[in-house]
Amino acid sequence: MKNNYRFIEIQKLFTTIIIIFLFSCTLFAQDDGARAYWNGRAGTNVISVQYMPAHLGASNSMAFAPGQYIYPNAETDVNIFLATWAHQLIIFNRPSAIAVNLIGGSVGVNVNTENLTPPVPDDPTPSVQFNQASSGFSDPNMQLVVNLIGTPPLRSVVDMLNYEPTFSLDIAGMLAFPIGQYDKDKLVNIGLNRWYGRIALPMKYHFGVFSPGYMSSFELTPAVWLFTENSDFMGHKLENKPLWSVEAHLTHDLAPGIFASIDMLYQTGFESEIDGNEVGEKLEIGQLGLSFNYQITDNVTLRTGYSSNVFGDANLETSAVRLQFVYSWNTSDVNAKKLMGD
Amino acid sequence: MIIVKGKITIVFAALATILMLTFALGTKQVQAQEQGQNEQNKRPNFLLIVADDLGYSDLGSYGGEINTPVLDELAMLGMRYTNFSVNATCSVTRSMLLTGTDNHVAGLGNMGELNAPNQYGQPGYEGVLNKRVASVAELLKDNGYHTYMAGKWHLGMKPDEIPHARGFERDFSLLVGGGSHFDNGWNLEWQIPKAPYTEDGKPVEELPSDFYSSKNYTDKTIQFIKEGQGDDKPFFAYLAFTAPHGPLQVPDDWLRTYKNKYDEGWDGIRHKRLARMKELGIVEEGVNDADRLFFLPRSSQLMPAARVMLGRKMEIYASMVEYMDDQIGRVFDYLKEIGEYENTVIIFISDNGAEGNDLRGMVAGQPGTFGFNHAMNNFAENSHNSIGRPGTYVEYGAAWAQVSMTPFRIYKGWLSEGGIRSPLIVSGPGVKDRGGINKEAILNVKDIVPTILDFADIEHPSTFQGREIAPVQGKSWVKMLNNEVRSPRNSDDWLGWELFGNRAIRQGDWKISWLFEPFGIYDWQLFNLTEDPGEQYDLSDKFPQKKEKLVALWDEYAKTNGVILGVRSPFEQASKHLPNSVPEYDAYPTIRGIETIPYEKLLKLMAGEKEEK
Repeated sequence: MKNNYRFIEIQKLFTTIIIIFLFSCTLFAQDDGARAYWNGRAGTNVISVQYMPAHLGASNSMAFAPGQYIYPNAETDVNIFLATWAHQLIIFNRPSAIAVNLIGGSVGVNVNTENLTPPVPDDPTPSVQFNQASSGFSDPNMQLVVNLIGTPPLRSVVDMLNYEPTFSLDIAGMLAFPIGQYDKDKLVNIGLNRWYGRIALPMKYHFGVFSPGYMSSFELTPAVWLFTENSDFMGHKLENKPLWSVEAHLTHDLAPGIFASIDMLYQTGFESEIDGNEVGEKLEIGQLGLSFNYQITDNVTLRTGYSSNVFGDANLETSAVRLQFVYSWNTSDVNAKKLMGD
Repeated sequence: MIIVKGKITIVFAALATILMLTFALGTKQVQAQEQGQNEQNKRPNFLLIVADDLGYSDLGSYGGEINTPVLDELAMLGMRYTNFSVNATCSVTRSMLLTGTDNHVAGLGNMGELNAPNQYGQPGYEGVLNKRVASVAELLKDNGYHTYMAGKWHLGMKPDEIPHARGFERDFSLLVGGGSHFDNGWNLEWQIPKAPYTEDGKPVEELPSDFYSSKNYTDKTIQFIKEGQGDDKPFFAYLAFTAPHGPLQVPDDWLRTYKNKYDEGWDGIRHKRLARMKELGIVEEGVNDADRLFFLPRSSQLMPAARVMLGRKMEIYASMVEYMDDQIGRVFDYLKEIGEYENTVIIFISDNGAEGNDLRGMVAGQPGTFGFNHAMNNFAENSHNSIGRPGTYVEYGAAWAQVSMTPFRIYKGWLSEGGIRSPLIVSGPGVKDRGGINKEAILNVKDIVPTILDFADIEHPSTFQGREIAPVQGKSWVKMLNNEVRSPRNSDDWLGWELFGNRAIRQGDWKISWLFEPFGIYDWQLFNLTEDPGEQYDLSDKFPQKKEKLVALWDEYAKTNGVILGVRSPFEQASKHLPNSVPEYDAYPTIRGIETIPYEKLLKLMAGEKEEK
């Protein structure tokens, strides 16, 4: 029974990791990314493809898993692809955006705690050796963002020309649909087998001249993730408390079309219960990162980012990279270019 | 005897008392009389304010929608004149303004930067205020005036050419024609990388970090007047703003003062200005404005986004004008504070017509030139939200310049009325008929020096500092300001101009002009300015003798002033540089389906008039 319970703890550990990675890559300090919530002209479409390879290593000082058991050699390699379509529109006379995210990829986990020194001398911690991988599509999600304060409806080029933002506040709601890959007999899955979603309040403060090459912003997005239960978690019921997060970015144009961002992500909460029993302490992770955005043409943008955890109770060693290709267009602009022969 | 003695004593005492009282009263009366005489004899101060490239109709008191309460109040306390002319560019006008003579005499036969090869080295073409003239500051200083200057000089940069050497005891001067309004980091000419300033004759190395031209020129003017107080000497202060000359720049707090006020486009604004000018009595009821220049589209043909982008330039221009007006108010407030406002003759003018040329393009020139390199390094940034801030250089273009010059034709640089007509407000002691508008007097910038000297009771000398100087050509306005005459000129008097090869003569209502194509015809044209201020109808064929007479006056003008027509002109290829003409329609469709709206009706709708059902 005890071994089974410990096994569940390990499973929870990895499930947690997978959850984190699949939720908009929340192990990346970029999270949604810098300038992700800047309001745009209605009718603008954005297609984005991201590739996020990451490596997670648990050091021998890590106290991560429920029950404070140490898994010094846990190694996780993640390769995630995220495809997004977003569309700017006006809802209730407010600038808004809808987005659909399709997520896929692979996760491989390797744990070897054979030479573990128990934290408590008389604790009969068993040796654990574990290898598992999973791949496929995760749970797709949809997000709706509506500006509450600070941005007028941006219906036309005229509205954009008159737009010189200072502070603005949006509300964003995201819902994931549990149709992704899930094998109830596997420890590592990409889908979560439960409904979940996020409510966020993205805030932006623009300073400097709102003009290419001169724009700067401070962005703060407090959010809460909410989960229903997974009733088929290796034959058990898994429940999680809300995951609270704050994402922050300080961005600055280095030149027209190029900006840099210092990124921060803090997450806490997400306490787990399996079959009604608490199985660990709350998660607490702080990430710091740096990202760059290069506008290659009027329509094409390339983003790169790197982040790593720098603080938090869980002394997790992460190393994550983001590569993102973005193509955006607005039909009227496309037609204007056709007329101009461009 | 004693009694007698006593009576005598009393009588003497009474007499003495009467005498003493009489003496005392007499003394007091004499003192009062002397004081009154002193007050009467006290010579007035002069405050000469010059705006740079300000349009004729920009001020509220001249029909503009720009908020200029200070100058509007000045107009109500003084007089406005509608027939005041200057020259077509700034340094040329300034040479006339400060000497009272013709620019070809004073050294600015051409702008120094644009002399033609055959003009270099010729008398009158020094490109600086030459020694054939004395500046009004030199004459006033020699006659007991404090002389101050703050702002743009543009009349020479060598030690013996700068304001301090030409009569200004205190100065804070930009020596060249223009540059950034926020710093001295660059000026319009690549040959001088940093804009050269002097203060009291010495080069200024560093400008304050919060420098903005209009603010700091005002600060210095107030400072000079303040520091000159205490010796009972009157002052002559020359406040030569560089606003609203390009680059159009204004402090951030003022940048969006006129946000979206000009989105309706130039036609509607111009239409409304003309209506207000008629309402105010600046122009006659029946007067129509000049046609929109051939290469400018109707604003109703422009997409809203284009109107917003073009309108923003005018927004910044308007903000600059209002900011300048606000600063002028600071000077007035200070004069009131020290009790000198009522004793100060205040003259406000612009130096030439509004700027419709692409000066930035002219400065930048072609890729591969130093000018282009200069522009590239200093003022290349011109995106929509950046313009108006430091490091940007935008002008508002020909269409808005034509609005600024409503109802006249063309703009700065050209000798049509759009290039040389300026607002003129005069206020202070000796100005009667306050709040009035004089449309009869034909006045010229050359008149200001004789007017100031007349007020100060100084005769213009024939020699100055041992050298002969040219006589003033202008005419004093003192009698006109005092309402003794309506104009300093009679029907035989005339005015002449020549700049860049363009020429003009005005006599009474009549004007002939010779302009390069495409605005002219490479020949003389005759206009009646009272009936046709927009210079739309060439009356050469109808009044050939009038034209002939005026052409003869031109010959006299050229000979008298030593005019040398240049073999090269910045406007000789104007046709090549201007855009193609745009089509004109009597009606412009598509605003409501297939219905067509006559243009005049469209203008009325744009002006806010409701449509009749």
